[in-house]
Amino acid sequence: MSVQEIEQAKPGAIAGDEPIIICNNLNKWFGEFHVLRDVSVDVAPREVVVVIGPSGSGKSTFIRCINRLEEHQEGQIIVDGIELSHDVRNIATIRREIGMVFQQFNLFPHLTVLQNITLAPMKVRRRSRAEAEAKAMQLLERVGIPEQANKYPGQLSGGQQQRVAIARALAMEPKIMLFDEPTSALDPEMIKEVLDVMKELALSGMTMIVVTHEMGFAREVADRVLFFDQGRIVEQGTPEYFFTSAQHPRTKLFLSQIL
Amino acid sequence: MTTIQDSRPGVVNQAYYDEPAVKPPPLLAVGPLAWVRENLFGSVMDAILTIVGAIIIVGVVSSFLAWGISQANWLAVTFNLRLFMIGRINDPLIESRIQLLALFVMFIIGVNLAAWARVSLRIWITLAVVVVLMFVLPVVIDALVPLPPTYLAAGQAEIVSGSVTETPLPQIGFIAAEGETITIQATDSTITETDGRLARIRSYTDRATNAVRNAAITRLDNQARIGELETLLAGDAITTRQRQAYTDELESIEVPPAVTETLAINQSAIEVRILDANLEPLLADTLTPDSEPLVFTVPDSGWYVLEKSITGSDDTIGLLSIDGIYPIFERNFLRSVEDGPPQRVFEYNRATDNFLVEGGQPRIDGTDVATISIIDHQYRGVRPFSDYLTLMLVPFLNQIKVAAALFLALAAAGYYAARLVDQRLSTREKPHQASRRGATWLWIALPVVAFILIAGVMPSGPLRFSDPQLWGGFLLTMMLTAVGIVAAFPIGVALALGRRSSLPIVSTFSTLYIEVVRGVPLVTVLFMSMLLVPFVLPSLAGPDTAPFRAMVAVTLFSAAYLAENVRGGLQSLPPGQEEAAKALGLAGWQITLYITLPQALRAVIPALVGQFISLYKDTSLVAIVGLIDLTGITKTVAAQTEFQGILRETYVFISIIYFIFSYVISIVSRRIEASGSGAARRI
Repeated sequence: MSVQEIEQAKPGAIAGDEPIIICNNLNKWFGEFHVLRDVSVDVAPREVVVVIGPSGSGKSTFIRCINRLEEHQEGQIIVDGIELSHDVRNIATIRREIGMVFQQFNLFPHLTVLQNITLAPMKVRRRSRAEAEAKAMQLLERVGIPEQANKYPGQLSGGQQQRVAIARALAMEPKIMLFDEPTSALDPEMIKEVLDVMKELALSGMTMIVVTHEMGFAREVADRVLFFDQGRIVEQGTPEYFFTSAQHPRTKLFLSQIL
Repeated sequence: MTTIQDSRPGVVNQAYYDEPAVKPPPLLAVGPLAWVRENLFGSVMDAILTIVGAIIIVGVVSSFLAWGISQANWLAVTFNLRLFMIGRINDPLIESRIQLLALFVMFIIGVNLAAWARVSLRIWITLAVVVVLMFVLPVVIDALVPLPPTYLAAGQAEIVSGSVTETPLPQIGFIAAEGETITIQATDSTITETDGRLARIRSYTDRATNAVRNAAITRLDNQARIGELETLLAGDAITTRQRQAYTDELESIEVPPAVTETLAINQSAIEVRILDANLEPLLADTLTPDSEPLVFTVPDSGWYVLEKSITGSDDTIGLLSIDGIYPIFERNFLRSVEDGPPQRVFEYNRATDNFLVEGGQPRIDGTDVATISIIDHQYRGVRPFSDYLTLMLVPFLNQIKVAAALFLALAAAGYYAARLVDQRLSTREKPHQASRRGATWLWIALPVVAFILIAGVMPSGPLRFSDPQLWGGFLLTMMLTAVGIVAAFPIGVALALGRRSSLPIVSTFSTLYIEVVRGVPLVTVLFMSMLLVPFVLPSLAGPDTAPFRAMVAVTLFSAAYLAENVRGGLQSLPPGQEEAAKALGLAGWQITLYITLPQALRAVIPALVGQFISLYKDTSLVAIVGLIDLTGITKTVAAQTEFQGILRETYVFISIIYFIFSYVISIVSRRIEASGSGAARRI
């Protein structure tokens, strides 16, 4: 991809606002392996970015760099005006503003659903228990499982667990939500309940970066689609452009295999 | 292209709308016989294993029972129970403080049962019945199975048995309780007629009677050997050399005249007097085998003296059969007194029950009157089951029945108190909240209470200091175990976290510590603590601090193993847990405290319990560095005059105690494991 093309894409789908996430020339290596190669993306507030690509293409590593679960070695990440550096305070501030949902849910099995959701608001945001629990119940209503509040994660289905995980991330009132293949570990019958929650979230104006293989979701909800291959962004554009008139042969090959 | 389905012959596309009925599973063959056939004799190999196993089990159990009932001297355990439980603690006040602590522990156990488990009324009733049996059984056995009479000899004749010569004692001291009756009579011909009958005397005896019995046994043995040798010499199945040896042996064997003749047992009348502790006569009689027995009703509990003699004949022996006079177990020890030097206490315990008299032993001409001590109670051959019941079981039950009743009462009190509190204070959603909170606080309070009650906190008064040198027995074992667990826990967790730390100094130190300690045997650590700790902590130098030094050693030792177990738990957690916590913005220490450590500890409960059980048993090694824990007590008992060299009985006893507690711990741990985490998490 040429520099020119990146420049074209940069303003983002929702023009006018200052980007909330700025990534400049990210580079990362796992040992000798070059995982991220000069990745540059800006995300505008309220934008929904869907990241797709073959496995091993670096898309998960990319979003894990944004909240510092992985450390980038070159380049720059600025989230909400704060640059991610080795400064622990910056990392803590940025993590408070970014919620993340994982492929394997990663709920805390020794805590109830309610405790899973209230732990971080109480310990990090210093909310009172009553306040945190009220907020948690509100979020459980929003994701549709208020009746499961006092159960343990192991007693819930995969779809319910992932909805709890979303509620847990939202309880910190983040400005940005990262989704790392949120439906890949679910039975086909449960994927829809999670996607519905995510759609509702997108419509409410949350800034979202979603790594997924759900092309239907990308087509319907995304403002922009990024296609990763071999650690770099090969092509990006609106869903409409991406699914109908993608140019790059690698994109075409990928789409032909999954559609 | 054809599909697979199309290629299979006879398949018709079809949908099924009728639901098959729900049926119960088919019945299997049941009943004990079917179970035995399936599980014990399922195959030839199974059958062989079953038979061999049964033979081994029956053999071991039956020979153990035969020994336990007919030979073992369980009095070594019964009369040393206090030693086994608390060691040499000699201050009655501190002893009762420890009893208080034991009751407190039982109360906590009761509360915990209510908080975490259900105990049905049926179990409480079963336990109560067991305790009631402890009270009822001695009474029933006493009523149904008479105690064997004690045999005492009278007279001035010398009784020669092998190299031993005994003369009957003129006086025997004994203790008795108020209201008891003592019956004295001269033995009749069923005992004294032949040597064979004398040899079969199986009961408490004084030394003189024991010599009579031994003389009779020796004579009978010699006679039997002569008969055997004569048979051998009459035949021709032996070599010349053997013939020579047998002939020599035959010549050397002497058969003395019958004991019944030489001693003329009960041919003369026996003069009997009973004196009180001040040697004032209370009762006198002359007894012959035909006379009425002398019956003496004890006016007051305490010491008495039986005086017996034969006037008019210097070479006859009288043999008395007495109900009510039994051997006395004698202890003397120093008892701490609140102000002033410790006092020597003489304690006399009757072997057949737990009747106890302190001091006051009568003296004649400046020496203590002899008593029958337990060492004189010698059985030949097999002790009958009835004597096992009266002489071994009843004294033991008498010793433990009150404690058992109190323990059960306190456990039940704790249980029902916690239930009551739950009914009053807990909500419907969390029915055990109040009792669980209470149980947790009680556990936290226990080490503090235990320390105050065992060690004391004041120089004088009800909570005065106790001397650590005297701590011993089960108390010391439990103290070492408890300290080894409680104190090692934070150290072990810190070492586990330290070893995973990213700071090189912390992780190197932790790794080094863990590997060094794990590479050294506990005995070595114990010896080093005895020798090296005084250099580091001079306040732990004196001999009275030995238990504390052992505690330091056990703590440092078990911390290293605990650290490795906890580290295993930390490593078993999926990395996603920490990532999720990080993504939520939790700080590193918060992640450890709220997320990883709780899960890691839960995951390693089985390993931790295994470690605690082995620590509990390993504390027995402190016996090697001179502490007298439960294992060390066995040596103390074997050194007592009455129980010289008795080890089997005491080892069996401490094995049972070790086993009971290990087993209880593993049952508790199985419950915690079963509660698990996630779906089935209940705890």
